[in-house]
Amino acid sequence: MSVNKQVPVTVLTGFLGAGKTTLLNRILTEHHGKKYAVVVNEFGEEGIDNDLVVDADEEVFEMNNGCICCTVRGDLIRILSGLMKRADKLDAIIVETTGLADPAPVAQTFFVDEDVAQRTKLDAIVTVADAVHLDGQLGEHHEAEEQIAFADVVLLNKTDLVEKSGLSKVEARIKKINPYTKIIQTSRCVTELDEIIGLNAFSLDRVLEVEPDFLDSDHDHEHDDDIKSLSFISETPLDLKLFQKWFGGLLQTHGQDILRSKGILNFSGEEERYVFQGVHMLMDASPMGAWPSNLNRTSRIVFIGRNLEKMDLEKGFEGCKRV
Amino acid sequence: MQESLTNSFNDSNSGQLVREKQTELERRGINHCFHAPVTCATAINEGVVAGFGDGTIGIFRPGLFPEIKKAHKGAILCIAADDDFVLTGGDDGLLLKTSTDGYIEEIKNFNKKWIDCVAHKKDLIACSSGKNVYVWKSDQKEPEVLAHRSTIGGLSFDKTSKRLAVAHYGGVTVWELIKQKWKSSVFAWKGSHGAVSFSPNGKYLVTAMQENAVHGWRIRDKTNMAMAGYPSKVKSFAWVGETPFLVTSGADEAICWPFDGKCGPMERSPVCLGKYNNIMVTQVHCLPRENAVFAGYRDGSVLLAEINENNSGILIRGSTGAQVTALSVSSTGSHIFIGDDDGNILWSPLWA
Repeated sequence: MSVNKQVPVTVLTGFLGAGKTTLLNRILTEHHGKKYAVVVNEFGEEGIDNDLVVDADEEVFEMNNGCICCTVRGDLIRILSGLMKRADKLDAIIVETTGLADPAPVAQTFFVDEDVAQRTKLDAIVTVADAVHLDGQLGEHHEAEEQIAFADVVLLNKTDLVEKSGLSKVEARIKKINPYTKIIQTSRCVTELDEIIGLNAFSLDRVLEVEPDFLDSDHDHEHDDDIKSLSFISETPLDLKLFQKWFGGLLQTHGQDILRSKGILNFSGEEERYVFQGVHMLMDASPMGAWPSNLNRTSRIVFIGRNLEKMDLEKGFEGCKRV
Repeated sequence: MQESLTNSFNDSNSGQLVREKQTELERRGINHCFHAPVTCATAINEGVVAGFGDGTIGIFRPGLFPEIKKAHKGAILCIAADDDFVLTGGDDGLLLKTSTDGYIEEIKNFNKKWIDCVAHKKDLIACSSGKNVYVWKSDQKEPEVLAHRSTIGGLSFDKTSKRLAVAHYGGVTVWELIKQKWKSSVFAWKGSHGAVSFSPNGKYLVTAMQENAVHGWRIRDKTNMAMAGYPSKVKSFAWVGETPFLVTSGADEAICWPFDGKCGPMERSPVCLGKYNNIMVTQVHCLPRENAVFAGYRDGSVLLAEINENNSGILIRGSTGAQVTALSVSSTGSHIFIGDDDGNILWSPLWA
């Protein structure tokens, strides 16, 4: 059977005015030699004659399976399936979401719909943030916080309009919500497109790179609904069955509070690395080749979400170690 | 003929998908690769018209070379046909009418808004784009617009063309033409609904859902019939035989729900047939006037099976490696069209 290459999909989030449109314009007009389809919400830009710009309706559907977390973007299922019917093969698809949108249904669409999962893959969630206004937005709208929490990449835009000290303050704020995100500073969204499109396993490599002690942030002045992150490592190999039992149960009971989970795991008796990433209750796991010889076989697991301290994560993870 | 078909079926059934010889129908018919996915196909008189992912339309007729027409700029998303013309909607926003002699006429340009569904019956034409359905009566220039609350997943007229079913999120809206006005009635069921169809006797309504399920309603009292338990999404269904059976894809066999009696499939088990190396069925089609079904598989194979329990069927077309995306049989029942995701087609007479 022929194996169809999965087209990478970049999800673009960010508040109104942060610079998403500027970035989309660049993607559509620059001579990058790539074929990108862009799924937008009422793209008002004049003069762009591109048959690969598709209007979306942001229709969030609940699946009829009793799972409250399984909200998906129905229009996106239709559009992505439609794009896959085209004869010309796409290098990537970029999906814009509106400023106040919850990124979860978009991400979940890639886990829930089998056709979408078979033909496309979620490459990265890129959040465009306004360096001038982000601090204020984070205080006022929980959507802003969630967009940072979900992001694999934060494009911190309009940095030319902010003092250096202000900039490091905003960066620290982003890192506190999501230490694993890659921050790219730009003005007018000028950055190489391959820094944000077609990143492949980028987000999982980042999980390996981030040092765990980075996470020892102080817990003062935090409200209960603040988004936090926790990570755990283990040098001891894990037991596959114990892990599946613990992790499956965890996502079922606390999936709503766990915005994202990612990990690289070393299972006892397995030569290959196992990687997974999850959005709320849904997760996707697969072997990712043998462990590189220059790396220790360290399992690492990361959670970003709310009320993480109530989930006994450390105890649960410890319990998966092979004794 | 029967014997050679059975032999080649046995070859393929021995566990390996690489066939050493062609099936009888492959030898007899036209095999061709169009290098663009076959997105849809429909019967037109004694022929079949197919739509492709590069915007071309292929007209296949017995004894003639296929006629290939460039019609749309992008992919053809939907197709419907009458005796002497075919309607296609594309992701270029065009609703086109192509006559069998190849003349293409633009019915409406929706300016890049995708045309997702199209339906036709007697003197009515309907298409959907986003949340709206547009309906034309005979030679009306401008369509009537029927608005819905969410994007439309399927469109279908009943036999009389007095009723139009529109599937969407949360159920189906049935529009009925009463004294020249469209009156709506909602058949609700949680979840998102795609392809929709009236049963041949007009008493039932069925949809393929976003979930791995088919849903049905008895129209008289809106009784719900949940047909669930599929391992995969149902992308294709067909009404087959006198009973009739609603035959669906979505499993590693064709699932056939009986719609006879007062309650149809309620509290009854479906007939399952055409199990073939555990490969998923992606398309189904009836053999006109027979109690038999064509099942197209994810690997490109197609089987013909009579509807009775444990019928394994005979191989019509072997594996191509790409899933069957379109199946159609000419209204006369003389020829079959098979199309797959890689653009391979088979157009072949069914009978020697």
